[in-house]
Amino acid sequence: MMMNASVKKGILGLALVIPSFLILFFVVIVPIVYAIRESLIDENGSGFGLANYIRLFTEPTMRKNIIYTLNVTIVSTLLSLVISYSLAVYLRFGHGWVVKWINRLYFIPMFVPGVIATYGLITMYGNHGWLSRLLLLIGIDTFPKIIYDYNGLVLANLWFNIPFATMLLSSALAAVPNSVIESARDAGANIGQLFFRFVLPLSYKTMWVAITFIFMGVIGSFTAPFLIGANSPQVLGVAMQQVFSNYQETHTASAMAVLMFLLCSVMGYFYIRTMGKEG
Amino acid sequence: MFNKAKMSMLLILGLCLAMGLAGCGGKSATEAASASSNSSTPSTEISLYTGGSLNVKELWETLIPAFEQANPTIKVKLVYLPSGTGGQSALDRLLAAKQSGQANVDVDLYEGSLDDISKGNKNGIWAKLDTTGVPNLNNIDASVLKQVDDMAVPYRASSVVLAYNSQNVPNPPKTADELYDWIRQHPGKFAYNDPSTGGAGSSFVTTAIYNFLPAEDMNSSDPAIAQKWDQGFNLLKELGPSMYQQGVYPKKNQGTLDLLANGEVDMVPAWSDMALEQTSKQLLPDTTKLTQISPAFTGGPSYLMVPEMSTKKEAAQKLLDYVLTPEAQTIVVNKMYGYPGIKWDLMSKELQDKFASVSASYRQFNGGDLQQEIYKRWQTDVAGQ
Repeated sequence: MMMNASVKKGILGLALVIPSFLILFFVVIVPIVYAIRESLIDENGSGFGLANYIRLFTEPTMRKNIIYTLNVTIVSTLLSLVISYSLAVYLRFGHGWVVKWINRLYFIPMFVPGVIATYGLITMYGNHGWLSRLLLLIGIDTFPKIIYDYNGLVLANLWFNIPFATMLLSSALAAVPNSVIESARDAGANIGQLFFRFVLPLSYKTMWVAITFIFMGVIGSFTAPFLIGANSPQVLGVAMQQVFSNYQETHTASAMAVLMFLLCSVMGYFYIRTMGKEG
Repeated sequence: MFNKAKMSMLLILGLCLAMGLAGCGGKSATEAASASSNSSTPSTEISLYTGGSLNVKELWETLIPAFEQANPTIKVKLVYLPSGTGGQSALDRLLAAKQSGQANVDVDLYEGSLDDISKGNKNGIWAKLDTTGVPNLNNIDASVLKQVDDMAVPYRASSVVLAYNSQNVPNPPKTADELYDWIRQHPGKFAYNDPSTGGAGSSFVTTAIYNFLPAEDMNSSDPAIAQKWDQGFNLLKELGPSMYQQGVYPKKNQGTLDLLANGEVDMVPAWSDMALEQTSKQLLPDTTKLTQISPAFTGGPSYLMVPEMSTKKEAAQKLLDYVLTPEAQTIVVNKMYGYPGIKWDLMSKELQDKFASVSASYRQFNGGDLQQEIYKRWQTDVAGQ
C-alpha cells in the first residue's frame, strides 16, 4: 500500500511536470536546436560548416556591429546600474517629500510602450527638439548630436531600464534592517564603508538579477536602435532584421541569433553561479 | 533571448491556431456562398486578394460597393493581407496549387507587383487578358500592357519624386546632376531614407547608380551588372558628408518626410502618393511642393492579375473592366493620391492639372535580386564609410 501511494504520487508529480516540460521543449529547446542547425548551413554554399560564423567575425561591417553592440550594452548596463543603485539607496534612506514623489513616479516609464517612448525621445532631444529650442531661448545655439547617435541609444536604454532596476534594488534594500545601518553609523562608519560593507553585500544577489535583466534587455533591443540609432554601425538586433528581411539571408541571420544567445548565456552563467552560492 | 524565443514561438502557435480557425471559417463561408447561389438569384462570388497599406483596403471598400451596385449578380469578397503578414503566401498558394495539379483555386483576382507577375509567369499561373473580355484595356497605354505580356492590368501607380520646401528652395533642381550639385551646395539640407527600409531612399540610391549605366540595364538581373556600380557608389559616398547631419539616413519613408515637416531639411525624395496625401491632410506644410527630375526617379504600377485556374474568370474580368473606367480611376486617384492606370488624357482636366508637377514619366527598376545586393553594398560602402 505504501509503495502504491508513493508510485501514485510519483506519477502525479510527473504528470504535473509534463505540460511545462513540453512547453519548454517545444517553444525553447526545439527552436534553439533549429536555429543552431540553420546557422551551420553555409549561406553561399550548401554544406554544413562554420562559414557563416567566420564571416560574422571577418567582415568588417559585421565585426564593427558586434563590437558596437557590446559597447552599447556594457556601457548602458553599467550606467543604468550605477544610477538605479544610487536612486534605490536614496529612496531607501532618504526622507522628505522629494523621496515620496520619486517613489510614486519613478516606475511610470515602464508603462509607456517602447515606440511611443522612442518618438518622445526624438521629439525631446532631436536636432530641432524641445530641449534645443529651450536652450536657444537662453542663447545657447549649439546642441550636441544625441538622436541618430551612440549617445541617444544609451540615453534610450537608460530610460527603459532604470525604473525596473530601481524597483528590483529597492525591494532588496527594503530588507536591509535599519538597526544594522544605525549601529554601524554609531560605530563611526562613513558613507563609503556603509555602502560597500553593509548595503552592497546585503543586496548583492539582487544586483546580479538587475544586471542580467538589463544586459539581456539591451543586447536584444530593436525598436529604439532602429528608430534612433546610427545607420552604421548598427546593434545586432537591427542588423539581424536587415539581414533576415532585406537581404533574405536566413542562415547568416540565424548565426547572428546564436551569437547573441551565446553572449546572453555568458551572462546567464554568472547569474546562475551567484544564485547557486549559499543558496 | 529565452524570452524572445518563447514569445515568438507562442506567437507562431497563436498564428497556427488562428489560421486553423480561419480555415474553418473560410469553409463555412464558401458553403454559405454555394448555398446562396442555389437560391433564386444566381450570383457569383469572386475573391479579390490584395495587400499593402491600409489605404489599399480603404480604396477597395469604396470601389467594390460601386461595382456591386452596377453588377448585382456578382459579389466580391475582399481578402486583405496587410503588408508583411502573408501576401507572399497567397502567391505561394497559387504556385503550390498549380504544381500539385489542382483544378481550381479560390483566388479570382490578385493584386501584385511586377515581381509577382514574373514569378507567376514562369509557372504559367496568370491568364492572358484581351479586349473581348475587358474592353477597357483600350484605355491603357499599349506599351505598358506589352511589358507584362497582357497578363496583368496596371490599375494604379505611384513614383518617387522630389518633395521640397518651396519657401527655402525657389528653384528646385530639374536634372539629377542639378540635384547632386544642390546637395553639395546646401550641406545638411537633404536627406534620403535608409534604402533597405523604404522605396523612396531606395529609388534615390538606385537611380544614382544606374544613371551612369545604359538605360536597359535597369531591367536586367544579370549579376555582371554589379561590376559597373562603382561610379554610382562613389557618388553616394562623396555626397554622404553633405547629407543631413553629415550622413544620417532615417529609417522608413516616413522618417525623411518627418524631417521635411519639421523643417530640419529642405528636400527629400518621397513617394508621390505619400507626399500628396500628407500635404492635403496638413501633415506637411503648405509650402511643400513636388517635382520630378530628369532622368526620373523610379516608381511603378500595382497590377491586378487573374489566375489561370480561377473558375469565375468572366466575373473577374467584369470587375477589371469596371476598375479601368475613368469613373473608377477618379476614385483611385482621389483616394490613393496615385496615378491612374489608364491614359492621363481620359481623366478630368482638373485632376490632370493637380498632378501636372509629378505625372511626368518615371522609370522602373526590375533588377530582381540585384536590389538586395545594392542594399548590402550601400550598408557597407555608404553608411559604413
